[in-house]
Amino acid sequence: MTEPSKTDHLNAIPAIHADRVSRIVPLGERQLTILDDVSLTVARGETMAIVGASGSGKTTLLGLLAGLDRPDQGNVAWHGETISALSEEQLAIRRQGAIGFVFQSFQLLPALTALENVMLPLELAGARDAESRASAWLDRVGLGERVEHLPRQLSGGEQQRVAIARAFVADPKIVFADEPTGNLDTDTGAEIVELMFALNREQGTTLVLVTHDIELAARCNRVLRLARGKVVA
Amino acid sequence: MSVVPRLIVRFVRRELRTAEARILVLALAVAVASVGAVAMFSERVKAAFANQANVLLGADVMISGDRPLPESLIAEATARGLRTTLSTRFGSMVAAVRNDAVAPAGDTALSDVKAISGDYPLRGALEKRNAAGERVPFVASVHPGEVFVDERLAARLRVKAGDRIELGKLKPRVAQVFAEEPEVAGSFLSASPKVLMSDADVAASELLGPGSRATYRLQVAGDRAQEFAEAIKPRLGPGQRLETVRELRPEVRSTLERSEQFLGLAASFSVFLAVVAIVLALRRYLKREIDTATLFRTLGAGQRQTFLHFLGQFFVLALIACVLGVLLAFVAQALLAWAVRGLFASTLPPAGWLPLGKAFATGPILLLGFALPPLVALAATPPVRALRRELPAVNGGGVFAVLLGAIAVLAVVLMQSQDLQTGAIFVGGLIALVGLATGFAALLLWAIRRLVRHGRLGKLGGPQSWAYGLANLDRRRLSTALQIACLGLGVTTLIAVGFVRTDLFSAWQKSLPPDAPNRFLINIQPDQIESVRTLLPKTADGKPIALYPMVRGRLVAVNDKAVSPKDYADERAKRLVDREFNLSAAEALPPANKIVAGEYFAATDRGVMSIEDGIAATLGLKLGDRVTFDVAGEALEVRITSLRKVEWDSFRVNFFALLPEPTVAPLPKSYITAFHLPGSDSKTLPTIVNVAPNVLAIDVSEIMGRVRAIVDQVARALEFVFAFTLLAGLLTLYTAVVATQDERRYDTALIRTLGGTRRQIVASLIAEFSALGGAAGLLGVAGAIALTWTLATRILKIDFVASPSVWISGFALATGLTMLAGWLGTRSVLNTPPIQVLRE
Repeated sequence: MTEPSKTDHLNAIPAIHADRVSRIVPLGERQLTILDDVSLTVARGETMAIVGASGSGKTTLLGLLAGLDRPDQGNVAWHGETISALSEEQLAIRRQGAIGFVFQSFQLLPALTALENVMLPLELAGARDAESRASAWLDRVGLGERVEHLPRQLSGGEQQRVAIARAFVADPKIVFADEPTGNLDTDTGAEIVELMFALNREQGTTLVLVTHDIELAARCNRVLRLARGKVVA
Repeated sequence: MSVVPRLIVRFVRRELRTAEARILVLALAVAVASVGAVAMFSERVKAAFANQANVLLGADVMISGDRPLPESLIAEATARGLRTTLSTRFGSMVAAVRNDAVAPAGDTALSDVKAISGDYPLRGALEKRNAAGERVPFVASVHPGEVFVDERLAARLRVKAGDRIELGKLKPRVAQVFAEEPEVAGSFLSASPKVLMSDADVAASELLGPGSRATYRLQVAGDRAQEFAEAIKPRLGPGQRLETVRELRPEVRSTLERSEQFLGLAASFSVFLAVVAIVLALRRYLKREIDTATLFRTLGAGQRQTFLHFLGQFFVLALIACVLGVLLAFVAQALLAWAVRGLFASTLPPAGWLPLGKAFATGPILLLGFALPPLVALAATPPVRALRRELPAVNGGGVFAVLLGAIAVLAVVLMQSQDLQTGAIFVGGLIALVGLATGFAALLLWAIRRLVRHGRLGKLGGPQSWAYGLANLDRRRLSTALQIACLGLGVTTLIAVGFVRTDLFSAWQKSLPPDAPNRFLINIQPDQIESVRTLLPKTADGKPIALYPMVRGRLVAVNDKAVSPKDYADERAKRLVDREFNLSAAEALPPANKIVAGEYFAATDRGVMSIEDGIAATLGLKLGDRVTFDVAGEALEVRITSLRKVEWDSFRVNFFALLPEPTVAPLPKSYITAFHLPGSDSKTLPTIVNVAPNVLAIDVSEIMGRVRAIVDQVARALEFVFAFTLLAGLLTLYTAVVATQDERRYDTALIRTLGGTRRQIVASLIAEFSALGGAAGLLGVAGAIALTWTLATRILKIDFVASPSVWISGFALATGLTMLAGWLGTRSVLNTPPIQVLRE
């Protein structure tokens, strides 16, 4: 038996670990449990889909895993560091450059051009080469010719490509996607999925996505099924 | 990570493409422009008034002293490029010379002699009569061996141009007979006929020996006169004083102060409107920024970084708006000045940079005052909002926000009017109105809920689409309350502007009616009363004109403690104690007088006095003090039982001190009266002076004409300023209505996709906008009544006149404009495919 190497040891630390997290919100006089005692582990480079019916708690779980929201009970850790205990400010700094997001409604700023939207995470982190990196990424997602276009001048699929470029531009370790194809037609949705998975492979990113789309879910390494706030499979 | 300036600039540049940012910048720019334009224009008009008022001094600045003034003063004035004239003023007997012999007694008169070196007057001109008897200005200087005499002296001595008079040891030739000299400042009561002589003749005349009483004066005119006055003021020696027309002529002072108040009010109204526009535009803008803030937070920007980014962004936006606003202000005030070009004798003096600086500061103060609390909240947007758009938007900052906003408004109003009372009334009014609006809106929404919820509207026969429109108001409760408050505030301001322009202003104009007394007779002896009275015209209602007794007394003791000029630090107080007071009697409180403390004495009281509150303050006298006057060697002790405010600009005979008639009856006295003579009457005064040669007749029609001209010019200038404020107000109202347009457009498009007909939508919009406009109109009228009442009674001290026509038209205008603006803003939805609107 050989000693595990240092790298192996690091690899053994999961990208995301959720330990018995719950999310409870007050609803009038009673409490509504949206997530109930959910535990999960996502390994580095792994892709995981969270599926379930509407109201099953998928988006709430994604928000907790992404550090956008805090659990009422339990802990979430990124690469071994418990993030639930961090202050808002510390958490923001951890997210900077390390976490990418793709949203169902794209969330592009309408006043900024495609290029400026992609540059944003780099500039917020104080990067000096924001423009060249963002431009290169727009090339990679096939929008090299449309850098100066405003979001409203782009189709839905193109807007989501910009959003994907923005999610990957800062070389994040984890990318979270909330219904990335939810606002797109089937063919465009398929193209976006291809792009996302290709980039994920190339960059070695961990990908966690929420979806209704069975086919999209099937392409992930793992599928987590939620029902009424509990993991059912 | 810290804030990235490049990112701020890019965001501002990009956001200026959006309607939200443009409206915010526009609102702010209009605010800055109206504040700047009104302030600049007011300053120019005020300076023009001051110039005109200075004509009454014959100069821009006048320094007088009991001894010859030091050469250093003249040198200092000359160094500033100012024109100067030195004069010496003293009293002397003057006699007519006939056939080279001095005329017998009777052809002599005590005159007010002014010995002049240099140009005279520096401001205004001397006037003489032409062949037709009209006054025409003329320019001349008095040469040695010559004198100019005024008409009164010429009449008294029966001399004309070319004759000689005796003046001390000299017998100079009368070179000119003048009707009026511009310098009419100075006490009426000491006014004697006037003689102008050359300073070079004074020594030879031997009129000024050691111990002679004379006043030495330096008159100064030029661009830097005020600067000179400020510089020398602290260095004036004992017996030297800086004379301003405000100090010398109470009626001019009141007129100028009122004019400034009116113009200041116009400026404050523009601040009011600016606040409304900014609050509304800001709200709409911030709503849009929530998405940006959410994204910033999601992408790892901390609260501090997010806050600083938005702060920077707002600062740059404010800067742009300020530059734009100041440019607009400059153009607007130039246009205003052009519009009133015919009103003033000369072109308006240029405005300083201070008003523009103030206007520039208005932008950031107002924007940050109102934006800071919501920005703090914005920076705290939870990042999870990226996943859940339905999460409630950030709150506005609550009490802190209101407080900071109020402080910002107070700062700007204070900067404008520099008057804490006005500022406090405005800010108090603002807060009260917001509170009132919120309560009122809540009441309205409650009524709507009851109407709509239980289908009462349907039962009452109202169409369902009305119910929908009204329900919309209830659904956007916060927006509705704010909108009603802002619209109400806008309407309040507009009505108040109209009210001030018409009613308050004419109340002031009426205080100086065309038949106000314009002639004074002084020194009427008790045995001349009857003969003089027969020559006087009757009052409008046919009664004889009142004659008031006048007793001259020197203030010698207060509460048994002897007083002398050196007991007082204040120059004016020193002079008051040095001179004789004019004491008079009045059975009842005279018109244009108002008791401010104590009670006016009863006709039969003895040993009591009512004193003007201003002079009481100068002399440190209070209610209950015992004051002793020396009246012709006898001591007269009286107790102060009331303090009065006197409307000096009423041009009536007014007295600082009033005593009961029984107290005055045994004292040596003369009588004084004031009455109105039409300009064409040139006989009455000479007749009276013939019958009673000792009587001094004074014509104040000139000075009244000047004051009236100032009032008329203020009126015209105000018309223009208020027209500008009105324009800004209409823009503000429009901003208020379009503030919730986005939501309304979305809702309307949604109804159309669900099959709503054009008619139903129009009906629902009408119901919504008329309720909104009506509520705002009611609130606006209520606010306007409260505001104008406070302004009239507390600040301008003018009687409040109810004007239902202004209120009704204000209400109708508010409702109508709201409906019109609402319709214009939403109309396009009806002609656009709904899907397009829903996608926006």
